Amino acid sequence: MGRQEVDALWIVIPTGQRASGEWIDDTLRRRAEEAGLLARTPEAGRFPRQRVEVIRAVDPFAEVNERFEARGWTDGLPVVPPTLARVQALCATTARMPSDELGEVDPLRGVATVEKIAANAVMAGCRPEYFPVVLAAVEALLDPAFNMRGVQTTDENVAPLLVVNGPIAARLGINAGFGALGPGWRANAAIGRAVRLVMLNLGGGWPGAVSLAGLGQPGRYSLCLAERDDSPWPPLHVELGYRPDQSTVTVWRAETAINVTGGLAELASVMGSAASAFTMLYTGRVAVIVAPFVARKLAKDGWSKDDVKRHLHAQARVSVSAMREWWLRATAREWPARFETQDHVSAIASPDDITVLVAGADLAIPQLAYFPSWGFPPCRITREIAAPLD
Amino acid sequence: MLRASAAAEEAGVPSVSLTCEGFIGQAATTATGLGLPNLPVAVVPGHVDVQTVEELRANVLGFTVDAVIQGLTVAQEQASESVEPEPGAVVFEGSVDEINRFFYENGWSDGLPIVPPTAARVDEFLKFTDRAPDEELGVLLPDKRSATVRNVAINGVMAGCRPEYMPILVALIEAMADPAYGVEHSGNTPGAETLIILNGPLIRQLGFNYQQGALRDGFMANTSIGRFWRLYLRNVAGFLPHKTDKGTFGNTWRVVLAENEDALAKMSWTTIAADQGIAAGESAVTISRFTGGTVLASVFGSKPEQMIPYLADGIARLVAWEVIFTLGMADGAQKPLLVLSPILAQTLARAGLTKQDVQRQLFEHARIPAWKFERYLGEWTNLSPGHPRLVDFVKSKRAPAVFAESDDPNRLVPVVCKPDDIMVAVSGDPLRTNAYVFAHNGILGFPTTKPVRLPGAWRRLLAEAAGR
Repeated sequence: MGRQEVDALWIVIPTGQRASGEWIDDTLRRRAEEAGLLARTPEAGRFPRQRVEVIRAVDPFAEVNERFEARGWTDGLPVVPPTLARVQALCATTARMPSDELGEVDPLRGVATVEKIAANAVMAGCRPEYFPVVLAAVEALLDPAFNMRGVQTTDENVAPLLVVNGPIAARLGINAGFGALGPGWRANAAIGRAVRLVMLNLGGGWPGAVSLAGLGQPGRYSLCLAERDDSPWPPLHVELGYRPDQSTVTVWRAETAINVTGGLAELASVMGSAASAFTMLYTGRVAVIVAPFVARKLAKDGWSKDDVKRHLHAQARVSVSAMREWWLRATAREWPARFETQDHVSAIASPDDITVLVAGADLAIPQLAYFPSWGFPPCRITREIAAPLD
Repeated sequence: MLRASAAAEEAGVPSVSLTCEGFIGQAATTATGLGLPNLPVAVVPGHVDVQTVEELRANVLGFTVDAVIQGLTVAQEQASESVEPEPGAVVFEGSVDEINRFFYENGWSDGLPIVPPTAARVDEFLKFTDRAPDEELGVLLPDKRSATVRNVAINGVMAGCRPEYMPILVALIEAMADPAYGVEHSGNTPGAETLIILNGPLIRQLGFNYQQGALRDGFMANTSIGRFWRLYLRNVAGFLPHKTDKGTFGNTWRVVLAENEDALAKMSWTTIAADQGIAAGESAVTISRFTGGTVLASVFGSKPEQMIPYLADGIARLVAWEVIFTLGMADGAQKPLLVLSPILAQTLARAGLTKQDVQRQLFEHARIPAWKFERYLGEWTNLSPGHPRLVDFVKSKRAPAVFAESDDPNRLVPVVCKPDDIMVAVSGDPLRTNAYVFAHNGILGFPTTKPVRLPGAWRRLLAEAAGR
């Protein structure tokens, strides 16, 4: 049997270091120990405290994956090793310096440098040209209005929903059509996953140890799509005041994605029955995806986006007597007076809190979706995406 | 900025530090170094220097005040220590190329190749000191890391020093760790650079250049020790560009300046080390941090009265905003350095001047208008609050009378407080009539001198080293 060659990978350590120099892994290891979760991450906190580590093995790709998983640096799926070369290729697509800081990721406050975000984006499977989208998305998530601390630590199962608008969506192949919320498109999968890895590795949102979400949700792996560019209505970014030739990413706190087959009536019914008490109490901002077939028909009948929002607001209603039985009624610190003075109330505080997006397959049996929102403050945050540098 | 806050917190008084937006990372790192990693910081958006009063008010009320209240009222969580390799641990094995890549990528190098600090090379350096490898020479901010004999040797190896430079390296780090020097300021925004001045028999013994090209790279002892200084600031003190080192521009490290002691002896002039209180025959390093320097070319004349005005003009010209260290931010701490080529010094000495005479004459001539001095303090910069006036410094006995001989704004005043604040060294091309002048960074890198202690077996060790 011949001697097997040992190969080396020079990897950028993807985990979070606080501005004070401490690594968040030390806190995570303690939390995991307390929570009895060390079996999942037996090597938590055991890594060289430096920027770059050299991993030598006959199969260094497998070795990186073994080590990263044991250290708690993955979402459970294999990762692409964040080698210096790959990380640098991502960093080269932005005018920012690798050391530039976008902020600190709550709750453990790892500093989100461009390079650390790039390392996580590589791990998630991002091509270099996806990186400006990831940066813009992280920027949006670090806006205080996103309430990263709440999202990461709540017992609710909330996840960031990312919607990309503008010409970059087609350029990067971010799917807005068939299966836009499902598997099969690398950009959707990798960009959404990059954001999750940033939340895990820089923010420390380890399930059970820091993140107390009771069930989690599949959207915590990735929840990213584009809006179709053949919508009969102005696309979201234009509605928000951007030019059509600009590209943006918009983020929401999404409790889940609920499939709705049909049209506005079915959508309103689901919005009423899947009403989130949190949304109602804290003026959550929700998103709906309208299938192109439905959107076209509405537009042809003279409906504007605002008409759709007003209609949904009016029709998505909750019975006040039913609400009295809710768990939240007994625990909420404040209970709005409007919940006591009417028989039914809208599940959404205002039509403006509803975002209407057009995406999905162009089918005559249309599939729509509703994303209820969790928590506070009201959140729908948009950032412009810089064009990737060549 | 956070050091006052740390002192307050240690005394049990809640504090919060106002920090401009560009300094958040430095604030956090500095706080950790001070042992209080969660010192509260309230951020002021942008930089206050370029905001109108209205903008500043809006920023403070809209943004900063909440963080001030939070910082003063909410208990800070405790942080844990970061984990570093044990002293002497092997952190990497690989080829020279791999080692260089590894050190560079981890921020342990200045961008030039290093000599790998192997255990064997480090041991060679340790032979050249009688001190124990783990002896602590001091604790350095901002990282609050121990300066030890061992990590001096490691950085000396990396910088390309020879083992026999080790006694000088140890003396340098003793000087760096001396509170009088103020190493903790090394990351400030003017980004001044330290100059190391060497005196004593080691200049000749170890082959330092002190003649033509005295401040140029190209001589192993001068160059590698200069590089060592900055590697040590990086790797032990913890000054890293884009993090704790906020030098707006900065500049590369300076090579060691060795004085021409033969020339000094012939003129009976004192050395820098002697001026700093070191006994004759002893080697010593003097460190001082200079904001910048410039050459005074072709000093013409055969008499002091022809030469002094030009030399003094160079000093007065270069010590500009730096007069805040003459009076204002610190009083009497401005210590500019004039380096004379031997031929210039000899011409002055031939006229019967001692170095102290030269310092007195330079003090008489290195003058600027009082209005300009005051504008540097409190109008063109905001480095001394409240538009201070020189007459008031004199009235309150903070400044000598020479600063207020009248209240005419056009009167000439000195740029230092007393003659011997102007340091004078002799080095460079012995036969060229040029001088060099450095403006000084005051208390943010005050001249500090340490004798170089040689090991008992110095002669033998040196002889052995010469054979290698």
